[in-house]
Amino acid sequence: MATYSLANERLRALEDIEREIGAILQNAGTVILELSKEKTNERLLDRQAAAFTTSVQHVEAELSAQIRYLTQVATGQPHEGSSYSSRKDCQMALKRVDYARLKLSEVARTCEQMLES
Amino acid sequence: MAQQRALPQSKETLLQSYNKRLKDDIKSIMDNFTEIIKTAKIEDETQVSRATQGEQDNYEMHVRAANIVRAGESLMKLVSDLKQFLILNDFPSVNEAIDQRNQQLRALQDECDRKLTALRDEVSIDLYELEEEYYSSSSSLCEANDLPLCEAYWRLDLDSDAADGLTAPLRASPEPSAGPLQAAATTAHSHASGPGPTEHA
Repeated sequence: MATYSLANERLRALEDIEREIGAILQNAGTVILELSKEKTNERLLDRQAAAFTTSVQHVEAELSAQIRYLTQVATGQPHEGSSYSSRKDCQMALKRVDYARLKLSEVARTCEQMLES
Repeated sequence: MAQQRALPQSKETLLQSYNKRLKDDIKSIMDNFTEIIKTAKIEDETQVSRATQGEQDNYEMHVRAANIVRAGESLMKLVSDLKQFLILNDFPSVNEAIDQRNQQLRALQDECDRKLTALRDEVSIDLYELEEEYYSSSSSLCEANDLPLCEAYWRLDLDSDAADGLTAPLRASPEPSAGPLQAAATTAHSHASGPGPTEHA
C-alpha cells in the first residue's frame, strides 16, 4: 500500500485526527503551564481552553462517524480481489522491453566490431 | 443506522469495543483535565498544613496528567486499529484502489507495447540495410560461421549426407539482389527439398 500514490480519503482523515490528538495534548499542557505562572495571561488561557474543548469534541465526532461507516460497510468476508493479473502482464511487457534492449545492444556491438575490423 | 447488516459476531463485538474505547478515552481526558483545573484553585482553609496539601495536589496533578497522556496514547492506538480495519474491510475503497492500480498497470503495458512496435518498425528498416551491406561485403564469404543460421544448419546437414552421393548446389552466400531475408528463405526452401531424394534412396 505504501507504494501506491493513491491515499484513501478516509485514511487521510484518520491521519488528520491523529495530528489533532497530538494538538489536544499540547493544548492541555499549555493551559496547565499557563495556570502555573504567577501572572496568567487570561486571553491565552481562554483561547487554549476553548481550542482544547473544540478539538476533543471534534475528534470524538469524527471517530464516531468513522466507526458508524465501518459498521455499515464491513462484512465478515475477506476481500478476494487482486491486481495480480495486470501486474503480471505489465511485468511481461517490461521483460519484452529489456529483451529488445539486450538484442539491440548486441546488434550495436556487432556493428562496431565490423567497423573496427 | 438504517442499513444495519447481520455482521458476524466477532466484527460486531470489535466495532462495539472501538466505540467503548473511544468513549472511555475521551471521558478520561476531559475528566482528568477538569480535575487538574479544579485542583489548581488555591483554598484558604485546608485540613492539613499548606505544605502537605501542596504535596498532595502536586502528586494528584502528576497522576492526572499521566492519565491524560495514557488516554491520548490509547486514542492513537484506536486510530491505528481503525486504519487497519478500514484497509482490510472497506470494500468500496479497496475495489477502487484495485481498479486504479489495474488501470495504471494496463496503461504502462500498452505504452511499452506501443513503443516496442514503433521500435520494431524503425529497426526493421535499418536492419534491412545492414543485412544488405553485410551480405554484399567481402567479410561474409569467409567462414560458415558468418552465414545466417539456416544456411549453416543446412550446410551441416548436407555434409553429413555427402556419403550418399548427394550433390546439392551449395551457395556460399545468398543472392544479394533478391534481398537478404528473402534469399535466406529461398535457400532454406531449396535445401529442404534437397534431403528429400535421400530418404527415398
